[in-house]
Amino acid sequence: MTATIFEIKRFAVHDGDGIRTTVFFKGCPLRCVWCHNPEGLTNAPQTARYAHKCIGCGECKKEGFTPDDCLGEATVLYGKEVTAEELLPILLEDRDFYETSGGGVTLSGGECLMQADFCAELLKELKKEGIHTAVDTCGFVSKSALDKVIPYADVFLYDVKAYDEDVHIKCTGLSNKQILQNLIYLDSIGKDIEIRIPYVPDYNDGQIEKIACFLAPFKNIKKIRVLPYHNYAGSKYEALGLQNTLPDRLPTDEEIKRVAEKIKVITNFVVLY
Amino acid sequence: MEYIKEQDLDYILNKFHDTHKPFTGFERFIIRRDEIFSEDTGMDPDSVVECVLRQDEHLKNFPHPVRKAKAFEFVLKNTRISCDARDRFPGLNMTDRPLHKTLVNAWRKEVFDEIIPEIGARRTRLEKDGIVTIWPDYDHSVPVWERVLSLGFSGLREECRLAHNAHPWDEEGEAFFEGIEVTYTAIIDFIGRLADLADNTAGSERMGMALRNIRYSAPKTFYEALMVCYIYFILCEHIEGLQVRSLGNFDKIFLPFYENDLKNGINEEEIRTDLAYYFLQFTAIGHAMNNPVYLGGDNEDGSTIINELSYVFLDVFDKMGIYNPKIQIKVNGNTPKTFLLKALDMIRRGHNSIVFVSDATMRAALMRDGFSEDVARTCDVKGCYEYAVQGAFSCEMNYLNLVKPLEYALHKGYDGVTGVFAGTSSLNIEDYVSFEQLYDEYKRQLKTVIDTTIETVNSFENYFSYINPQSMISATFPSCIAQGRDAMHGGAVANNSTLLCGFIADIADSLSMIKKYVFDKKQISLRELVAMLDTDFSGNEIWQKKLSLDREKYGNNRDLPDSIAVDISKFIISSVVDRPNATERGGKWTCGFHVARMSYDQGKKTAASANGRRFGEELSKNLSASMGQNREGATAAILSATKIDATAFSSDAALDLGLLPSAVKGDDGLEAMHGLLMTFVKRGGHAMHINVFSADTLRNAQSHPEKYRDLQIRVCGWNVLWNNINKEEQDGFIRQAEALV
Ligand code: SF4
Repeated sequence: MTATIFEIKRFAVHDGDGIRTTVFFKGCPLRCVWCHNPEGLTNAPQTARYAHKCIGCGECKKEGFTPDDCLGEATVLYGKEVTAEELLPILLEDRDFYETSGGGVTLSGGECLMQADFCAELLKELKKEGIHTAVDTCGFVSKSALDKVIPYADVFLYDVKAYDEDVHIKCTGLSNKQILQNLIYLDSIGKDIEIRIPYVPDYNDGQIEKIACFLAPFKNIKKIRVLPYHNYAGSKYEALGLQNTLPDRLPTDEEIKRVAEKIKVITNFVVLY
Repeated sequence: MEYIKEQDLDYILNKFHDTHKPFTGFERFIIRRDEIFSEDTGMDPDSVVECVLRQDEHLKNFPHPVRKAKAFEFVLKNTRISCDARDRFPGLNMTDRPLHKTLVNAWRKEVFDEIIPEIGARRTRLEKDGIVTIWPDYDHSVPVWERVLSLGFSGLREECRLAHNAHPWDEEGEAFFEGIEVTYTAIIDFIGRLADLADNTAGSERMGMALRNIRYSAPKTFYEALMVCYIYFILCEHIEGLQVRSLGNFDKIFLPFYENDLKNGINEEEIRTDLAYYFLQFTAIGHAMNNPVYLGGDNEDGSTIINELSYVFLDVFDKMGIYNPKIQIKVNGNTPKTFLLKALDMIRRGHNSIVFVSDATMRAALMRDGFSEDVARTCDVKGCYEYAVQGAFSCEMNYLNLVKPLEYALHKGYDGVTGVFAGTSSLNIEDYVSFEQLYDEYKRQLKTVIDTTIETVNSFENYFSYINPQSMISATFPSCIAQGRDAMHGGAVANNSTLLCGFIADIADSLSMIKKYVFDKKQISLRELVAMLDTDFSGNEIWQKKLSLDREKYGNNRDLPDSIAVDISKFIISSVVDRPNATERGGKWTCGFHVARMSYDQGKKTAASANGRRFGEELSKNLSASMGQNREGATAAILSATKIDATAFSSDAALDLGLLPSAVKGDDGLEAMHGLLMTFVKRGGHAMHINVFSADTLRNAQSHPEKYRDLQIRVCGWNVLWNNINKEEQDGFIRQAEALV
C-alpha cells in the first residue's frame, strides 16, 4: 500500500506532546481560507516553483531531471508516493528524542485520514515499535475512517474551526456537522483528545465562546491549543500558482491571550497558545 | 540592576574598566582608574613595574619560583588598592599583569629565542599558515578550591611549611617551597593591608572585619568564603598571571557556608546580595571569554549536588541579567528536572551564559584515562566546557585546523593559500584514481601535521615551569606538596596536553562533496574542482552554490559525511591519544573538539573548500555543522554529533545548537529543549550550548543596535553582547539562524 505525502518534519514541537516527527499527507476535503499548507490541498502531486531560489545550474534542462536534482530547491515536488516500510526507518530516527521527551510521531496533512487505510497500517507498525502516535485531523472524515485508526492512535489532535455551520461553510467551504459528531464519538469511546482552534480575525473570532461552551462538557479533552493565524504561506500559494486566499488581519498577542483565557474560563481545560 | 544599588553599580563597573570608553574584553588587564585607586595607597603601575625589575637585578642567582614570588610580593606590597562603601569587595589596581611584563615574558623570550629558537620559529610559522595555533597555556587549570576554603591562605602556607620541614628536599623542592612561602606570606600581608584600609574607610567596616577574619584563618561565613575566592582569583589571574578561569563547583563548595549562615539567622536576602556583588566583580572585569563557574554533579553517595543554593545562584544571576561569569551545569540522570527547566528557560530568554556538560560522559572518559570513578566524579569543569580531574594541570591551547591537510593533499604538499611547502609532498592531482586514495593521502598529511605539532609542543612545554612557575595553584594541589614539585613540572596528578581539533564538519563535508561529484557522479574532474577552489569559485558561482546547497552534509544525520567525520575522529584518536607529552611534565596527549575563535582566525587563512565555503570564510564550530548547513534541525544535529565517541575526546567535545524562538515557546517548547538535552546526554554527548534566535531578530539588531543593547549571543563557550562583535561575526550568526528549521 502507498500513500501520498508532501513533507516529513522532524523536531516538531507543537504537534502533540514532546519532540515529534510529523508526516504530512496530501489531500484535504476542506478549503480553509487561511490554510497555511496549500501544498496539501489536493491529493495529486504538484510541482511548485520558487523562482527566487533558482541558482541557474541548468539541471532541470537535462534529460531525466527530477525535482530532487534541484539543489536550489527552486523546483519542488509536493507529493511523493511512499510505503509504510519506507517511512518507518525515517520515523524511527528520532526515537531517542521521543523517549526522553514523551514525544512520538504525528500524522497530519492535508487530511491524513483521507488515506486512512495507509494511516492504520503505518500506525500499527509504529505501535509495534512502542512509539507514541498522534493523528491530527480536521474531522471531516467518515466514522469508518476514524475507526480504522482508533486502535493505533494514542491521541487525536482535533481541529475545531467554528461552531455555527454557516460560519464553518464560509471559512472552509463545508459543513461542520460530521466534524462535531465525530468529535463527540471520539470522546464517547474515551480517546485522548487535544483540541486545536485556529484563531482567525474576521473569520472565526466570533465563534470562540460557542466553541468553548460546546467543548466544556467533554470528558477526554486533555488540552486545547489556540493557533494564532499567520500569513507565512503566501509564497507557497504563488509558487503553486494558486490564488492566495489568506486573510489580511493578523491577531495580536494580546488578542490571543484573551481568547485563550476566555476558553480556559469556560471549559476549565488546559489551554495553550 | 536587581540587588545592586544604582551608585554602586556605576562604581563597580568602573573599578575594572572605564565604562565611558568603548568596551574591549581583551584589554581587561589595563586598568588605571586614578579616581578609584588613591595615590596614598601605593605606587603607580609604571613605578611598580620599574621597581620589580630593579629588585630582580639583585635576585638573578635565585631560582625562578623564588624570583617570581619576590616580584609578586613586591607588587602586593606596593600596588594601589581601594575599599569603598559602594562595594563589598576590595579593589586592586591591575597593572597589566606586572609579572608577565617583567619576568615571565623575559623568560619566555629567552626560551623561544635563545634556548629553542627553531621551535619558536616553527610555532610562529604554523600559526601564520593557519594550520596549528599553539599558545603556551597556563590558564586551563583550577585550584583545589575546597582546600582554599577549608584551610584559608595561612592554612595552606602552614601545610607547605610542615611538608617542607618534614625532610630534606632537593634543590628544586627547596625552591618550590620557598616560592610558596614568599607568595602566601605576601598574600596574608596583603589581606592585612586591605583590612587596614577598609577599617579606615567609612562604610567598609564589614569588609574590614571579613578581611581580618580570613587573614589568619579559614573563612567561616558565606561572605568570607566569597572574599577568599575573590582575592585568590584576582591575585592569581591579574598578578601572578595564571588565568584560573574557573571559580569551581560553586553549589558544592559554598553550601556549608550558606547553610551555616542560615542557621545563624543570617537573612537569605543578605546572602543573595553578597552573591550579586561577587558576580558583579566578574561582570565588571569583563573577561572576553567570561570567567567560568560550575554547578551540579554527584555527591559521593550518588545523590545530586543540585541544592537550594544552586537555585539561589541561578535566580540571582538571572535577575541581574548579566553574562559574566559563565555557568556550566553538570547534568546527570538525577539532575532535578525543575532545575534544568529553570536553566533552559533562562537560555530561551536570552540569558544563555549556560552550558550543559554530561557527567556520565566525562566520568567515562576520565575512567578510560585510568582514573578511579571517585576521582572522575569530582572532575573540574573549566574554560569553556573542558574538564579534568581535580588537581590536574592541563595545557590545551593547541588548535589544529583539520581542513588544511586536504589543501596540502590537493596541492602536492603545498599550502593552497600561501603556496608554501608544508612539509611532506603529495601526488599530482591526476594521479588520484580513487576517492580512497585521496582520503588516505589526506590522513597521511594530517598525521604529519599532528606529529609536528606534538614535537613542537613537547619541546617547549619542558620549559613551562621555568617560564612561569605556579606557586599559588601548586600549594592547593596535595600531589605537588607531597612531591615538592611545581604543578607545571610534573607535580599535578595529571599533566596532560591537548590537541584541540577544529572544523570536523568542513572536512567531512568537503570530502563528501569530492567523493560525490568527482568520483561517484563524475560531474567534474578533481583538477577542475581544485582550479575552482584556487580561484575562490570565481566564474564558477553555480558550482559554489551547488556544493554549498547540497544537503549531504555533516550535522544532518546523513551517512556519507557522518561516517567520514567518525572515521577522521578515530584516526585522530589513534594518532594522538596517550602519546607522551613533554618529559619534564610527564603527562599524556589528549584531544578535544573545540575551536574557540579559530573558526574566524584560521578560517581567514584557509582556501575555498569543496563544501562551497569561500576563501577566508568562517569555519565550523566545535562539533556543529558547517556554517548554515544544519538544515534538518536540532535532532539531526544531535544524532550526527553523538556518532562521534566523546569519551575518547577527554578534553571536550561540544555541540552548539541553534533553535528558533518559535520552536521553544510555551511549555511544550521548554519540554522540547529538555528532551534535546537529555537525549544528547543519553547518547553520550559531552557539552551542549544553545542559542535561541531568529534571523529576523538578528538582522534587526544589526541595523538597530541601540534597540538591542541587552542581546546576548553565545559565541563558542562564552557569551558576548551582540553589539560587541563585529559585522562579519554577526553575519555568520545571521547565516546560521537563516538555516534553522
Ligand atoms: S535545477 Fe533548480 S536551481 Fe537549477 S536551474 Fe533548474 S530550477 Fe534553477
